[in-house]
Amino acid sequence: MTRHHRIAISRRRFVQATGALAAGLAMPAIGRAQGAPLQLGILTPLTGAGGFDGPRMLKAMKAVIDEVNAAGGLIGRKVDLVIEDDQTNPEAAVRAARKLIDVSKVPVIMGTWASAVTSAVAPLCWESKTFLTTVSGADSITLLPHQGYLIRTQPNNHLQAGKHAEFIAASGAKRVFIMSIQAPFAQPTQRRASEVLKQKGSEMVGGLIYEKEKTTYRSEVDQALKTKPDLVYLNGYAPDVTVILRDLYRAGYAGPRFAQSYAVTGKVLDALPPEVTAGVITVQPSADIDSPAFGLAAKRTGIAEPDSYETQATDWASLVSLGIAKAKEATGTGLRDNVRKISQGSGTKVYSAVEGLKLLAEGKEINYEGASGPCDFTDIGDIIDCKFRYNKIENGKPVFLKIA
Amino acid sequence: MPPILAEIAQLVVNGIMTGTILAVPAIGLTSIHAVLRFPNFAVASHATVGAFAGYVANVKLGLPVLPSVVLAFLVAGAVGVAADELVLKPFRAAGFITTAIASIALTIALENLVRFGFGNELRGYDLPIMRDWRLGGIRVGPQQLQNLAIAVAAMAALFAFLAFTRTGKAMRAVADNPMLASIKGINADVVARLVSFVGMGLAGLGGMLIGLDTTIDPLTGFRAILSVFAAAVVGGLGSIPGAVVGALTVGVGEELCLLFLSPDYRSAVGFTAILLVLTLRPRGILGQRAY
Repeated sequence: MTRHHRIAISRRRFVQATGALAAGLAMPAIGRAQGAPLQLGILTPLTGAGGFDGPRMLKAMKAVIDEVNAAGGLIGRKVDLVIEDDQTNPEAAVRAARKLIDVSKVPVIMGTWASAVTSAVAPLCWESKTFLTTVSGADSITLLPHQGYLIRTQPNNHLQAGKHAEFIAASGAKRVFIMSIQAPFAQPTQRRASEVLKQKGSEMVGGLIYEKEKTTYRSEVDQALKTKPDLVYLNGYAPDVTVILRDLYRAGYAGPRFAQSYAVTGKVLDALPPEVTAGVITVQPSADIDSPAFGLAAKRTGIAEPDSYETQATDWASLVSLGIAKAKEATGTGLRDNVRKISQGSGTKVYSAVEGLKLLAEGKEINYEGASGPCDFTDIGDIIDCKFRYNKIENGKPVFLKIA
Repeated sequence: MPPILAEIAQLVVNGIMTGTILAVPAIGLTSIHAVLRFPNFAVASHATVGAFAGYVANVKLGLPVLPSVVLAFLVAGAVGVAADELVLKPFRAAGFITTAIASIALTIALENLVRFGFGNELRGYDLPIMRDWRLGGIRVGPQQLQNLAIAVAAMAALFAFLAFTRTGKAMRAVADNPMLASIKGINADVVARLVSFVGMGLAGLGGMLIGLDTTIDPLTGFRAILSVFAAAVVGGLGSIPGAVVGALTVGVGEELCLLFLSPDYRSAVGFTAILLVLTLRPRGILGQRAY
């Protein structure tokens, strides 16, 4: 009996105590908000297929925010990052994004990587007026009705195909054949490359789209060589490009071949005899290694040569910091309306967030030039220009050609 | 030769080359079907197992191609017998659909075992790649001719085995009429093991032949299985000469379609062939007699 009595009291006390605590926490919330840290959301793949790039992007963003905090934070507040793992999985990403938007009430989500994840998360963002920054490359992403709440720093397919064609034309190739794998990017790539080749005085003499997962592409190679190309652009993935490189060699083709570096990986070079891959030119989006922002990013992260993903992450954190400072408020709409005011235009060029914050505080106009590229955006949130890294395969190894 | 004729001739040659290689695993699939009466989709993973066994022999142990091919046959055959005894045999009482589905599960499991051991990356055999020969405007690859010879030799050996040896005749007897064969005292279990060994061995050999021409990875067999299945069905599931005819039909058909279709419709040709054959001649081109 006594025991029961004691329990009853302690339960009552517990309820009272909890109530008091809850009230204590809730009441002065408004009073404390001014000093409370400003929370920015990060949603990036720490696991899954993007698990290699996500943690490195996270590190680069943290480095920028640490620097901003050391310089006094944003709009008078310290900045905190709320980090969620999207698991490279749209379903997990949507759950995590809901948490960032509904619970943490972040003005921005930075860091989605896979196109499927970005396509799933983007509607949540524009519905809740949350700003989204991404590296996903699919053309369809910026075509979503995102009302300006999205920017991406990764070159889309259209920009890539155009840049590739410029390089090919400048290399002196006059007759170009494009072999594309059956994929959403096949036709847009061929169309855009054909346009640019023509503008630059070269010609796309033909193109075909082949099926994936075939054991041989002899007849496709015959079709390509019938047009007597002086360069063959292999617009596919590693398994099929490997087979085509062999078939091109067997067919006696010795001219230049051009491919994305993800299709001619180190493993592909190991699997093929060096004579088959000799002279293949590979391309990938590159950081802007000549930009002062790149040097600053390298110093800040302690990485000798930050890659395209690390520099893009650096640029998101910088653009978002500068956008918030320019808007004088931490909201998604503020970012949407101000990001282009600090990323492009005739303002003083700045190469880091801290440098830009100082000038903004003095009331000056700025133009952030990033580590991944100039960070100038179109109306739909695509970058206007970026650099590409070209390598040439010699003796089964990629040899650096140039960044342009 | 007028250009269009040269082009057709080239496509036919390419088709025969692909078809002959397809025929090897197709014979494996069809002979297992003839005796055990279910489509064994695990042919896909056994092709991969053979390709990797050949890879180990050729690259890791430094053996030349021919002994490696033999090893590919033996290892895939042995894995085939073990897998059939342990996994598929218990399912056979439940009917052929259940067993066929079990074989799909088996093929995914085996494929992932290979992935576990070797990883996902592409691998190539230790072979020089030679430029093709040009014979009267037609392009032929030395490696392909060698593959063709290996495939033809394997098929000839199989036909001789079925025609002239007692065991081969026993296999045909079980395929023709299992009841009668058992009355005659033929041990169906032994024949089942034998056909699993030979069938999956051929799948493994086919896998290695595909790999010799390209590269290998754990999906090597899976990529080919649809065409292999098409070949076996078109020729008449259960008929060994039918598998050869079917493979050549699918191989040459897929190539000739390039005359008027874009290459991304290639596989559609194989499956249109299946639909046509099943509609017009449900037993396949050569019917379902094993031999």
